[in-house]
Amino acid sequence: MQKINRNVVLALLSLTSLIFLLFQLCYYKFYLSQKNGAAFSKVRGSQSGQDSTRWHVVRKFLGLISSHNIPVYLIDPLILGLVDKDIEQIRSSPDGPSPECKYFCAPRDFTTFALLDKTWKHEVGLFRTAEKMGFQWLKIINKDPRLDGMDDLSGMEIPLHYIFKLASHAIHLVVFYERSGNFLWHGPLRLKQHMDRKFVPFRKLHFGRYPGAYEKPELLLVSIDDLKVQIPKNPSSFLEEMSHSRFLECRYREARAFFQLYPDDVSLDAVEFRKKAKSLLHLAALTLNNLGVKFWLSSGTCLGWYRQCNVIPHSKDVDLGIFIRDYKADIIPAFKNAGLPLKHKFGKVEDSLELSFQGEDDVKLDIFFFYEEDDHIWNGGTQAKSGKKFKYLFPKFTLCWTEFVELKVHVPCETLQYVEANYGPEWKVPVKAWDWKSSPFNVQDNGVWPIDEWDNVIQIY
Amino acid sequence: MDEWKPNPTVKPHKKRSWYLAWKYKLMNQRALRKLCQTGAVLFLLVTVIVNIKLILDTRRAAYEEEEESAQDYDDEMLNVEVPRHPVNNKKVLDVEVYSSRSKVYVAVDGTTVLEDEAREQGRGIHVIVLNQATGHVMAKRVFDTYSPHEDEAMVLFLNMVARGRILIFTIKDEGSFHLKETAKNVLKSLGSQVAPFLSWRDMWTFVGKKGGEVYGEKHAKSPALSTWGDPVLLKTEVHLTSVEDAECHWPDTELNRRRKRFCSKVEGYGSVCSCKDPTPIEFNPDPLKDNKVFDVPVAVIAGNRPNYLYRMLRSLLSAQGVNPQMITVFIDGYYEEPMDVVELFGLSGIQHTPISIKNARVSQHYKASLTATFNLFPDAKFAVVLEEDLDISVDFFSFLSQSIHLLEEDDSLYCISAWNDQGYEHTAEDPSLLYRVETMPGLGWVLRKSLYKDELEPKWPTPEKLWDWDMWMRMPEQRKGRECIIPDISRSYHFGIVGLNMNGYFHEAYFKKHKFNTVPNVQLKNVESLRKDNYETEIHRLLGEAEVLDHSKNPCEDSFVPDTEGKVYVMFIRMEQEADFTTWTQLAKCLHIWDLDVRGNHKGLWRLFRKRNHFLVVGVPASPYSSKKPSSVTPIYMEPPAKEEGAAAVPAVAAAEQT
Repeated sequence: MQKINRNVVLALLSLTSLIFLLFQLCYYKFYLSQKNGAAFSKVRGSQSGQDSTRWHVVRKFLGLISSHNIPVYLIDPLILGLVDKDIEQIRSSPDGPSPECKYFCAPRDFTTFALLDKTWKHEVGLFRTAEKMGFQWLKIINKDPRLDGMDDLSGMEIPLHYIFKLASHAIHLVVFYERSGNFLWHGPLRLKQHMDRKFVPFRKLHFGRYPGAYEKPELLLVSIDDLKVQIPKNPSSFLEEMSHSRFLECRYREARAFFQLYPDDVSLDAVEFRKKAKSLLHLAALTLNNLGVKFWLSSGTCLGWYRQCNVIPHSKDVDLGIFIRDYKADIIPAFKNAGLPLKHKFGKVEDSLELSFQGEDDVKLDIFFFYEEDDHIWNGGTQAKSGKKFKYLFPKFTLCWTEFVELKVHVPCETLQYVEANYGPEWKVPVKAWDWKSSPFNVQDNGVWPIDEWDNVIQIY
Repeated sequence: MDEWKPNPTVKPHKKRSWYLAWKYKLMNQRALRKLCQTGAVLFLLVTVIVNIKLILDTRRAAYEEEEESAQDYDDEMLNVEVPRHPVNNKKVLDVEVYSSRSKVYVAVDGTTVLEDEAREQGRGIHVIVLNQATGHVMAKRVFDTYSPHEDEAMVLFLNMVARGRILIFTIKDEGSFHLKETAKNVLKSLGSQVAPFLSWRDMWTFVGKKGGEVYGEKHAKSPALSTWGDPVLLKTEVHLTSVEDAECHWPDTELNRRRKRFCSKVEGYGSVCSCKDPTPIEFNPDPLKDNKVFDVPVAVIAGNRPNYLYRMLRSLLSAQGVNPQMITVFIDGYYEEPMDVVELFGLSGIQHTPISIKNARVSQHYKASLTATFNLFPDAKFAVVLEEDLDISVDFFSFLSQSIHLLEEDDSLYCISAWNDQGYEHTAEDPSLLYRVETMPGLGWVLRKSLYKDELEPKWPTPEKLWDWDMWMRMPEQRKGRECIIPDISRSYHFGIVGLNMNGYFHEAYFKKHKFNTVPNVQLKNVESLRKDNYETEIHRLLGEAEVLDHSKNPCEDSFVPDTEGKVYVMFIRMEQEADFTTWTQLAKCLHIWDLDVRGNHKGLWRLFRKRNHFLVVGVPASPYSSKKPSSVTPIYMEPPAKEEGAAAVPAVAAAEQT
């Protein structure tokens, strides 16, 4: 009897340990698949791939949103990357059945879709249906930036992101809003305190670390992996755009504080100047964008944006920066055609290039070309009468989008460093008497142009 | 073992014996056997423990990773959530009600929900409605029953309150002078013993449930005409009911959820909250064919007149071609009830911290609302601007859809307005007719974005300037000679009686008799003739066809215009220069149309209807149309009555409300 008992105990223990081993294996597999997804991707054997969780979740999601007539489009960078390689084929056969599951079957944690806010009505019904279908969902809301610039308006908070989770796969739905300046904006993804931090591994999301600015995409209805989805017509340019889409909101609160200290100039002259500067900036942006030249707000215009979210009325000109590598000879004729004749040209492409165009009624457009060195970026200045050269040094910076006077434009992402380099720590105090040769904080003498070059490097019209 | 081939060199039996021997040995060596078994058990146990530990470890690692990953996405603003107070399970409310000559207050569970000790204000009967389940204040009203007709308003209000609500009454100063029998009976039916006998300067407090028990009543009689009754303080307890009893059982739909939320918070909206057949809150009017204003944002400018807003939004959402998604209600101040109304209709609302005072406050609110509208709808070229005290005609959007292209194409236009200042019951006739006028009527109008962004917004009056925004917009510096298009019969109706510059008398005199179009789908006549040059041709055609009236008669008399229908008549009045409106003002006065300032003119010409005939008034010689005057006709001159100068100032201020 005792012997049997002992054997039974032994058998039981072996069984338990076996079960544990199996369990551990499964758990480990699950953990790994969560961690990087790819580790066990080979598990899916069937060549049709229709058994993949991801494909099923995406299909369910597309069914859900089409039943509510909500037009979403695919912006998942990984899938768009794959799609882009076969774009010709996909375009030519929009309805053809696909032989294998190429795009939606690679196991990932997320698939990302975009939704244009104005195309749906925020029906609560969508979420009820989603729940019935087994989705768990999370909504991330925040303040409406379009009202942020306004004194004392408090609207309802707007949804910025939705996450629909089913089984081990999640759909990240990014809500895009139209902003003044004819572009689309999506918000950052920030969790409020009470939110479930482990709902999905948020850090792996492709959208939401920063807000982003995009052009309105043209869409194309395609059938990939037997699913009908809308995608941006040109996936590669969308992906390119995505890689530098980071958006900076103007610092409206600080601007309000600034105007508390230094009340805004609302004289007729100021109103007129702002109007002219705005239309000049719009014209310049149109011209440069048509040429495909990347530019940013520089000097006084940048300071105006950063400090007061507006044109500084006493600044008298509009300043833009362009990297010298983006220089095109077409710039001057293009501005001329736009009605902005060249006023002067200082320096040359190799050194200290600076162009000035004559806008309407004495408002001048200055374009400074920036030269990149290993540890800094600089642009040059030239004094016409003496041939003296100046150099303005800036720490390295990257470019971000922002909205300024109803325009989507670039500004240096590291704006504070940029402005401080240019205007010093006292940049918050308005200065009306400004001398471009001595006032800037970062100006350096840079010698004199050789006399024989003057004809070339100092051109005044 | 099947495939095991016995090694020929080894004898099978020998192997077997070795095995047996070993087995035997083991069986016999109990100690060793035990040791092995214990070893096995220990090994298994260790495996189990290691396994458990491994599981715990991986789980922790995964958890930490996610923690870390989520940190990036934490909201920077630490929204410290204040833990909610546990639900108040108390079933009894302590209610204190005070009534006296100069002060009233009501406290519920120690919280003051009404306190009024302002001088010369808040006279009459104060009424508070509490939710019988939660004790929340659902409505607060004061009816100045010292003045006429206020008791009727009170009866209307009390009838709209749902059964079961708790009603609290208290009198400040005087509340009986114009409290008529009907009202007294209503109070009596609520259970008041005293109400039928309320008299001059009595103090009175009463707490009761509508259609149910009475929780308390106190009364102090005024001893003499010249004195007030002693202050009374009523302290009583009210038993709360369960939430289920306090709510209606509507079918569970999205709309009814909104309705439920609304009806559990506020009172005084009548049938929208009735349990049986509540009035709809979704209207689904017919869509318009080829609607050109479907994507035009609509800004509704509101203050704290939630009942007005309710009426306004109902009419707006019932208008054909309305697009609720484009509507934003801008509320001037952090008022809850207007926001509740906005949410009831599923619209979006924005609250605005008040800046400055009085007229400047309205003006700043307008600016913020317009800027926000164009920010929220950056694609929009226009915005429709409405106010909370307007009824919107059923063909409002159809009217705009047919005319909006003019605003886009004709630079000489300032706005399109739904309101005709001179369109009274007796002076407007043709729903398909439009005019061009030099004045800007407001009251439901369309603003061009470029006009706002390039001209108005940058120089909008600053908060310290106590200007009316509409007066400012009418100034020549802003208008720059541009004109507005208006309909003959207004597409909006101004029903507001309470307002910044508004009172009952003023409303009755100038707004009540305004004509309002109720015909759907009116096809506008000859819209193209409204363009700048076409309009001149049109006017000349009209004047050419018009019959000159007998200028020897008195133009104020009805007989001045013959008893015909559908004819065009013209009269000439004296108008020495462009700004000489002496005769016009007198004529407007006797015709009972807007006479507080000059409205509705186009180059010294006014167009209206009299006895169903088109009636043109030309100012001679200032108007360019003076040439149409036959030389035999002497323009009529009407002298202003030599009257008190002071009296004129009052309506001039009041005119500001005409927005």
